[in-house]
Amino acid sequence: MSNVANIVTVARREYQSRVRARSFLVGTALLVLSVVAIAMVPIIVQAISGSGAQRVAVWDGAGDIGGSPAATLDSLLNAPTGGGTSAGGQATTGDFSVRAVTDLDAERRAVDKGEDTAVLALARGPSGDLAFTLYTNESSTGRVAQLIRQAVSAVVIADRLARLNVAPADQARIFAPADFSVAWADPARTEATQSSADQGASYFLGFGMTILIFMMIILYGQWVAASVVEEKSSRVMEVILNAATPFQLLTGKVAGVGGVALTQYLAILAAGLVALAAQGPVAGLLLGAGTAASSLPQGLTPGLLGLLVVYGVLGFLLYAVLFAGAGSLVSRQEDVNQVVTPMTLVATAGYMVGVYSATGLLDIRAGWLTFLGQVPFLSPFLMLSRVTSGQAAPWEVPLSIVLMAVTLVACLWLAARLYAVGVLLYGQRPGARTIWRLLRHGM
Amino acid sequence: MSSVASATGGRLVIEGLRKRFGAVQALDGVSFEVRAGEIFGFLGSNGAGKTTTMRIVLGFLQADGGTITWDGRPAHAWPRRTWGYMPEERGLYLRMEVLEQLVFFAALYGVPRRQARAQALEWLARFRIAEYANRKAETLSKGNQQKVQYIATILHGPQVLIMDEPFTGLDPVNAAQLREALLELRDQGRTIVFSTHQLSTAEELCDSVAIIDHGRLVIAGSTREVRRSTGNQVVRVATDGGADAEWLGALPGVTVTRRGADYTELRVAAGGNPQAVLRAAVERGRDVLRFEVADPSLEEVFVERVGALVSEDHTLAAPVGAR
Repeated sequence: MSNVANIVTVARREYQSRVRARSFLVGTALLVLSVVAIAMVPIIVQAISGSGAQRVAVWDGAGDIGGSPAATLDSLLNAPTGGGTSAGGQATTGDFSVRAVTDLDAERRAVDKGEDTAVLALARGPSGDLAFTLYTNESSTGRVAQLIRQAVSAVVIADRLARLNVAPADQARIFAPADFSVAWADPARTEATQSSADQGASYFLGFGMTILIFMMIILYGQWVAASVVEEKSSRVMEVILNAATPFQLLTGKVAGVGGVALTQYLAILAAGLVALAAQGPVAGLLLGAGTAASSLPQGLTPGLLGLLVVYGVLGFLLYAVLFAGAGSLVSRQEDVNQVVTPMTLVATAGYMVGVYSATGLLDIRAGWLTFLGQVPFLSPFLMLSRVTSGQAAPWEVPLSIVLMAVTLVACLWLAARLYAVGVLLYGQRPGARTIWRLLRHGM
Repeated sequence: MSSVASATGGRLVIEGLRKRFGAVQALDGVSFEVRAGEIFGFLGSNGAGKTTTMRIVLGFLQADGGTITWDGRPAHAWPRRTWGYMPEERGLYLRMEVLEQLVFFAALYGVPRRQARAQALEWLARFRIAEYANRKAETLSKGNQQKVQYIATILHGPQVLIMDEPFTGLDPVNAAQLREALLELRDQGRTIVFSTHQLSTAEELCDSVAIIDHGRLVIAGSTREVRRSTGNQVVRVATDGGADAEWLGALPGVTVTRRGADYTELRVAAGGNPQAVLRAAVERGRDVLRFEVADPSLEEVFVERVGALVSEDHTLAAPVGAR
């Protein structure tokens, strides 16, 4: 029987028996649900905590302020944070709904009943300056009070300038933002610098993708090992060994479990995309129209997704064939953990370094990290965060992929050989010397 | 269907097989021949080298020396579907449905799924376990699992069937069913090699046998030749006088091997004449109620040539190097 046909037969059995298992269905359903839940939590929290906007009333007791203080406060309170100094045309956040009222006492009662968040009373003090009082049941140092305090100072300054007879046009010039820019320290770098939001997104991306790859390798790698041991302990191995070669069994098994992993990841990915797409409509339904919906994380380009797939698949194959080879050396499920420990340790170390460098605990620009990124067993954990943070030199990605592919071929050969001698070993777990002797001389 | 090896030249020839596991010489120059279309019994105590020989024939293990040919060509040059193997430790995917795994095993030998499915259903019906086709293997009784295992071994139509202790653990009804099935396969022209330490089963079923001990072949040949190989003969005698064992035991070259109320069994050593026993009985004036001359049983041959048979069933394969 040809190699490919038997590999497909083995992979197919492995895939079908796993995908149909109740534990797999329940596990995948839970993962999908949790992905959807995570995507929906912010909206639900907002919906539960009532309408998003803080209702603030303004009572003007001075009467001589140019323009409507309520309108000024509305635009100041709803200005987006961070980019607040840039030129107009900005979308408003809609966090606050501000209106003018004429009856202060009635409004104070309304605030007390919880109908509104606060009422701001403004009046002229003895010095001629504006004086403000915020009536609210919320904390005096809370977020609402702080934001109103900041907004109010702008109102006061505008009022003082007006009383100094500075024309409104001149006032605008006074408040115009300074010309300020940030550039790379390295003169050779010309691309745009990252904002803290971008950098946060790249940390998040590198971190998230490293976790995904780590989970795929450890979780499904252990499945491969457990599945090999299951065939040994149920003695099916000898039956199928008459029909298929160890190499066919090994590759088929790894391919089958890999397919299961891809199925689960695709289900989660699909759920995530649907949830993201549904965020807008759901938010509209729960919170009213015009609410902003979040989109894909910034920086998640198709190219990056492609790299995630390449490193994920290569990394999984690399580890899975070794997990299979190791699994073939023991005959009881209890011994699996012990025999796969070397691989788990290397993967965990790679994962830790990957996460530390992605989140900035380790300096990702260090030379030794560039080197580690090229070590085939560590590349899957390190390279993605190097790419998202923009630290990967152009040669790093292709070289690491080639090195992984070459190592994969070597590991496949080694694992098939281990498998060939291991599958007929029963009883005591063989020591390193026995394994070495068997590898050299066969069985 | 693949052609069965020609009746004239078809032979499984095992020549000078040697295999060492660490310090243990598991096989030390084992040679024998199995003719195509016969049932061949491979006899020996545990650890004699039966499983190792079978694993080498099937290519799971590499021999240190020796050759194996089937119908004139090296065994490994034949396609995998030539061989059917039933290991001593039965192996099924416990959480897989019976029919599904039968189709899987056959597919590995290149049998199209549809065909494998139809044939598997036929066999399941024949063994009266058709209702379990869509049940998981773990829900079946031991005996029924064995039947499934047997079907898995033959579903791809192998020319040579190699079975390691197929009768171990079978109840009498299932054992009879298996004997029936093996005879039928033999009549279809298939070659069957099985190991056993149930010598009576081998005697009943096998056209030829080989006895192996500590990695060395003790004797091989047709079952009749092997039974006659010691030169001893078995005589069963009963007379009207009773208490035959006493005077029979005094005859020269005769050993009493069984004292029964119904009859007495004697071994007449090589070169002795059984008719002398009959004459002695007549000379004593007794009426002979029963007089029977037979070849020794395989068990007697085995005990004489190897010693007592160690026959406790082992449930776990021994660690490396123990076989």
